[in-house]
Amino acid sequence: MSHLAASARREIRRLRQRPWDLAMITWVPALAVALVWWIFSTGLPRHLPIGVIDDDHSALSRQLVRMLDAVPGLQVERRFSGTREAESGLRSVEVYAVLAIPPDFERDIKRGQVGNLTLLHNAQFATHSGLIQRDVRATVATLSAGVEMTARNKRGESAQAVRVSAMPIQTRLVGLFNLSGDYQPFLGMALIPAVLHILAMTAGAWGVGCELRDRTLGEWLGSGSRGQTAAALAGKLLVPWVSLGATGAVALVAVTVGGGWYPAGSLAWVMVALSLLIAVSLAAGALLAGLTRSLQTALSGTGFFSAPAFAFSGVGFPLAAMSPFARRWAEAMPYTHYIQLQVGQLLMGVPVRLSVPTVVGLAAASVALWVVASLALHRAAGQPQTWGRD
Amino acid sequence: MQSVVSPVTGWRSWVETLITLIRDKGVMLLLLGGPFLYGFYYPWFYASEVVRRVPVAVVDQDHSQLSRQIIRFAQASPRLDVLWVGQDESAARQAVERGELQGYLLLPADFKAHVLHGRPAVATIQANGAYPLISKNVQQGLAEAVGVVSAGVEIRQLQAHGQSPLQAQASRDPVRLQTVALFNPTEGYGSFVVPAVALLILQQTLLMGAAMATGTWVQAGLHRVSARAWLGRLLAFSLMGWLSGVFYFGWIFWMNDYPRGTHPLDVLVLLAVYSPAVSALGCLLGLWFGQRQRAMQVLLFTTPTMAFLAGFSWPGEALPPVLQWLRWLNPATSGIQAALRFNSMEAGLSVAQPYLLGLMGIGVSAFLAIWALTRGEAPRVQAGAH
Repeated sequence: MSHLAASARREIRRLRQRPWDLAMITWVPALAVALVWWIFSTGLPRHLPIGVIDDDHSALSRQLVRMLDAVPGLQVERRFSGTREAESGLRSVEVYAVLAIPPDFERDIKRGQVGNLTLLHNAQFATHSGLIQRDVRATVATLSAGVEMTARNKRGESAQAVRVSAMPIQTRLVGLFNLSGDYQPFLGMALIPAVLHILAMTAGAWGVGCELRDRTLGEWLGSGSRGQTAAALAGKLLVPWVSLGATGAVALVAVTVGGGWYPAGSLAWVMVALSLLIAVSLAAGALLAGLTRSLQTALSGTGFFSAPAFAFSGVGFPLAAMSPFARRWAEAMPYTHYIQLQVGQLLMGVPVRLSVPTVVGLAAASVALWVVASLALHRAAGQPQTWGRD
Repeated sequence: MQSVVSPVTGWRSWVETLITLIRDKGVMLLLLGGPFLYGFYYPWFYASEVVRRVPVAVVDQDHSQLSRQIIRFAQASPRLDVLWVGQDESAARQAVERGELQGYLLLPADFKAHVLHGRPAVATIQANGAYPLISKNVQQGLAEAVGVVSAGVEIRQLQAHGQSPLQAQASRDPVRLQTVALFNPTEGYGSFVVPAVALLILQQTLLMGAAMATGTWVQAGLHRVSARAWLGRLLAFSLMGWLSGVFYFGWIFWMNDYPRGTHPLDVLVLLAVYSPAVSALGCLLGLWFGQRQRAMQVLLFTTPTMAFLAGFSWPGEALPPVLQWLRWLNPATSGIQAALRFNSMEAGLSVAQPYLLGLMGIGVSAFLAIWALTRGEAPRVQAGAH
């Protein structure tokens, strides 16, 4: 225990002398988390620019354009005179989509024929075009239902009968969890731990790697036993674990309760898991440094494993759609497991007992990596000729 | 004392820097190793491109011919994999919580009776909204199955009222919307993400490599050289960026069949300004860090956040106004916007002009800052590279 405390005290002294290193586990993480919160602070995108080609110039087509413009998510930015002009507007990304209203649109509908609208959307900007499609579909459905009811009323059907037979089977879409379809709880909450994961693994690699690079490994570990080395490593990693863990906990409370948004499950359980994700990342970084005995190689490894963790975690592209081998790789990453627990607790309200294996797994991985890193450092301590690499 | 360590010409500085870089394993791992590795690693996860056969259930409490018809359509949908059909809604919900299912369709008792008597019958789709891409497939797949059956019922009812099949068709759905996907016609996930992320990978590896090499020069006191020598150094870094860039646009995009423009010259023009801008920014950061490994310590964590500021996976229109401006200080924002216009939209140079000018602005400003910071006093420490 005294080895652990002595090592932690030594680490704090070192950090006081190194403002960069202190910054990287205190105010830089806090700022990074605040930036992520700021990015998603406005919630759903509003006023995405779209264009219209109105070849009909009728009351109905003007009504449709007005309805589109009134949707908060859309803004009718351009009225194109023809397809050529619309195409250049789409290519230059002046607008993300163009709705084409054909000539005789209103006349066809009045004659009881179908009025066909075409929405050309820029699928390269998939998020933008997905939101636009959703809004345009809803607007067109509203217009269509209005037209249908008017027509049936004219034929003498009662309003009540019309409402039913217009859509004999109604579908009700219920988002289980994340009811508003708001992206902020989803993306923002997933990105914050992803950033902390990288920062923690960097801190682990940096803390241990610097002792090797600066040939201070002997001064740090002495000629202690394996157990004493393990205690010294725990003491060193304890400092960033506390500061990064506190940053994560504050961030979780701030974006949920602080934003007036109460998680469906247990926030405390997510904090436990996040502190373990940080522990496993710190230990993994320390292990990379202990194995490679090179600060820069350990940092390169940190970049390789942690920086893309968010991209392969199933948050964007589902794990089930990956090839079996790619999926196995993704599932070997701690962040993948953590984020499933977080989504389950914050958005879905999954019973805590279902995610006990995740927490146990993260804890076991932290301990295992810490033990192996201690062994690697114990070996390195006995081989001073390998210290001092870049 | 004179103002430079070795009064070299830009040309000699370029050659010397290249030799230094090639001999530096750590820097080379970032400059060429990183882009090479990520070029294969990143698209690997998205190789299947689209989401198919999402596991769902149908809770059928009606057991009618109509409900069975809807189930058959759901089973036939390529988007869905109907894992089970049962009666117990709580069992379905628990399976969603366990992650075994991503949603279910609830067909309540008396469903068919309601339809027959002209009362509204409601089929409820419960989709796991926690994962947007999955939820979209569940909603669309199940809504299509219900929609087809609903349309059939309605047309039969309208025909019973004496309308012709065609009229019936028109009056049940007087305005129809057809959507056409442009520029990424398959709407694949990989071809949506990777063409943009590629620019971010190019930037981050080059930025860290240049900052790392510069940090090493600062430690060795080799950073106070003439403007011409700095130009040579920047050109050496830029060459590495060009090599990686051509590898992505020429090989990785082709191998994965990502959208590639028909005017390769435009992309080369982009690389011509992108690489120097990133290199100059990297050297400037290296001067500030003043130490070899600091570059990776400080820059690694910025990558995912930059992706969300670049305006492809998260609309720039949704950012707070101040961030909408600040994000242009990051070269990747302009680089990604220009690259997508060239590769996917096949828009010409004129469309991407603001982005190219922005990149030049970043490059020139960073270069002037480097020059201002390294002017003047000769270094006291001259001996020994790192």
